[in-house]
Amino acid sequence: MSNIESVATSPPASGQAWRERMPGLIRVYGIVLTLVLLLAVVAIGNPAFLSERNVLNMLSQWAPAGIMAVGMTFVILTGGFDLSVASGYSLCAVVAAYVGQDWPPLAAFGAAIAVGLACGLANGLLVAVVRINPFITTVGSGFIIAGVALVMTENAVFMVENPDFGILGTGRWHGIPYSGMLLILFLVVFGWLLARTPYGETIYAVGGNYEASRLSGIRVRAVVASTYVLLGGCVGLAGSITASQLNSAQADLDPGIIFDVLTVVVVGGTSLSGGVGAMWRTAVGLGIIATISNGFVLLDISPYYQSIIKGSIIVAALALDTGRTRLVRSAR
Amino acid sequence: MTDQPILKRREAKSTVAVRVRNVSKSYPGVRALRGVDFELATGEVHGLVGANGAGKSTLIRMLAGAAIPDTGEIEIEGAPIAFDDPRMRRGAGIAAIYQELTIIPEMSALSNVFLGVVPSRFGMTDRRAMRRRFDELSRWMGLSIVPDTRAGTLSVANQQMLEIMRAVQADQKVLIMDEPTAPLGPFERTRLYELIARLKQNGVSIIFISHDLDEVLRLCDRVSVMRDGQRIDTRRAAGWDKASLVQAMLGDVEVLPGRRRAPAAAAEILGVQGLTVPGVVSDIAFSLAAGEVLGIAGLVGAGRTETLRAIAGDDPASSGRMTLDGRPVAWPRSVREAIGHGIMLAPEDRKRLGLVLSRPALVNLVLADLGAVSRFGVVDRGKRRAAATALSERLGFNPGRLDADALELSGGNQQKLVLGKWLHRGPRILLLDEPTRGIDLGAKQEIFRTIRRLSDDGMAVILVSSDLEEVVEHADRVLVMARGRQIGEFAGPEASVERILNLIFAVEDRAVAVGVPA
Repeated sequence: MSNIESVATSPPASGQAWRERMPGLIRVYGIVLTLVLLLAVVAIGNPAFLSERNVLNMLSQWAPAGIMAVGMTFVILTGGFDLSVASGYSLCAVVAAYVGQDWPPLAAFGAAIAVGLACGLANGLLVAVVRINPFITTVGSGFIIAGVALVMTENAVFMVENPDFGILGTGRWHGIPYSGMLLILFLVVFGWLLARTPYGETIYAVGGNYEASRLSGIRVRAVVASTYVLLGGCVGLAGSITASQLNSAQADLDPGIIFDVLTVVVVGGTSLSGGVGAMWRTAVGLGIIATISNGFVLLDISPYYQSIIKGSIIVAALALDTGRTRLVRSAR
Repeated sequence: MTDQPILKRREAKSTVAVRVRNVSKSYPGVRALRGVDFELATGEVHGLVGANGAGKSTLIRMLAGAAIPDTGEIEIEGAPIAFDDPRMRRGAGIAAIYQELTIIPEMSALSNVFLGVVPSRFGMTDRRAMRRRFDELSRWMGLSIVPDTRAGTLSVANQQMLEIMRAVQADQKVLIMDEPTAPLGPFERTRLYELIARLKQNGVSIIFISHDLDEVLRLCDRVSVMRDGQRIDTRRAAGWDKASLVQAMLGDVEVLPGRRRAPAAAAEILGVQGLTVPGVVSDIAFSLAAGEVLGIAGLVGAGRTETLRAIAGDDPASSGRMTLDGRPVAWPRSVREAIGHGIMLAPEDRKRLGLVLSRPALVNLVLADLGAVSRFGVVDRGKRRAAATALSERLGFNPGRLDADALELSGGNQQKLVLGKWLHRGPRILLLDEPTRGIDLGAKQEIFRTIRRLSDDGMAVILVSSDLEEVVEHADRVLVMARGRQIGEFAGPEASVERILNLIFAVEDRAVAVGVPA
């Protein structure tokens, strides 16, 4: 088959000089390089960083934020956003602790996850079907969810006496925390879902071009809504893990966790404009943020610098993302 | 009225108004210009022709300062343009009138003409001076536009005149007109020709771009032909004829000869009656046989795209009656319903509506049919690549480009992806909205070759294109629309561009005469 134009327009991919391809490669894999450098710096500064105990503790410590980042990756890939995560996380923890006072732990965690899924479904329907801007929707729903948690607890702390309740958050198998195993399991399973299934493919398509996806016969609204439900489930599990770690929960558990979750996804290089990103990026982003936080402690640097560094990294990641988006736009 | 010096009589500083030297420009995936030299003599009308994607638009955008060359230089009356200084570019004395006009519809005709260069006295807007100048210019150009009219309410022709007036009033030495006659009726065209002649007498140099080769040969002093980002040839107009122009534009691309078949005897696949989109399209009816290519011709705004969208289930406000294989079916209310009927639309704007630009070609090809390349809920990568490779062959898409992001591909290759996306699904009725807009001739031929093969296999096709010659060449039957209505139909051999245009303008002119707003 003759193909006149491809001859004129396609540069020979293999013959391209390394020097020309370098900037592109750095944009794609630079984030991995950053992680490796960070790991090296902290490990050299304090060899205890790579000790088994420290690594396993970090896994357990970052499990809630990491699991939520998995769900957030889906939402952001469709071009969405969810700011209600912090309130949802507190509410789910409160629900787990409340139910866990009188019921077996499994029922408690199940209830928390169910509540998370319900919150996610509400967000998903508002964003995908009613078509309210996700930013506004989730700021609003975040207030509502936080309010529900306050009403439930009347701002008291729910303590759980049942020793079995702590299993999810503090239990270990051969020294490996269950929560850390769950985090890795989520990264792998949902990463696979994203990369290998038709569902994952439609997520990229919807985020990359909503209209083109709709006109291709993809159920765009269902796809968008489903990502919020999935995130809701992750939030439920994250809340359960924290409640279990603390053997207690309260309505204002950790409002700042939303920033950790967003930072992890964005620093990894998943684009806030949707359609571009991957689960391995979230894993790398998680590694970076966790290493920085832990490194500050191990290297004995004032925690005040931590927010400066974290903030700079977010801005740098977004600047990279904007540059990429501009490249896409200019070609349209 | 005598020709008083509306334009300042200027001493031509140079016999060459614009000189382009060895200019090249690339965009992601496209080398738009390759070492172009071009010369516009002072006071000449210079025709610029070439197929879509030949590089005309890039060249004129550069002259107008809207794009910056990668290499090479441009001189205006002997002085090189400093591309790093936008003000310098604006002051260079070149005005461009694009197909998409830059009139601000909410502002008055008067304000539009003086946009950015409002005359002032003691720091106050001098409206009296503006009006005086506007009247002068109107008289000179033979216009009768009320200065206070909202520009948006004027006809396209008059909006275009305002743009020209803006250029004249700013005393621009060079005027670039990009397909200025495309939206104009016969009378308005004549008026524009006269104005061009008068501008030329006054020493204005004009670059005139048009797809109407007769018009180019009649109007221009010299004509340059572009192809594949290069200037192929420049001759005096007398040195060209239509055949030699076409030859130069196409190069050695083999042109698919048109096929105008007699009305097919095949069975009806699709019947549509009473198709209405409130306020846009009313009461369209047609029947489509297996293997038939039905063209829909009309001007911009005639309702062609809306008609296709309604049939494709993409307009919930639309209504009508539909039969498939003679059996009535529910009017499609969603894209998925239409797809269920086997009706699929390759939309007009492939970047915005057709493709996921950030994903590889491979993925875009199977986007509408993910289930078919999956097993047990997992995308089977081998199957996907095999399917995409097979499709590439049918489409004339280079399989070596399957892993490139759609973003990096040329317009022609992107269009092949949009077609391919549906081919995998196997439509019974394929709706094509402007399938060849902005793509080069080679790709165009491949697309029509594909369409023909599909229709030979029994697929029915509805083709909408602004390129009337294309519709006449490739459609078995042409349905003509104007102002949202069906105004006529030509069966194969009877269709001609001239007949279609006459029919359309008969309706348009009548509408203008009785004052129906556009």
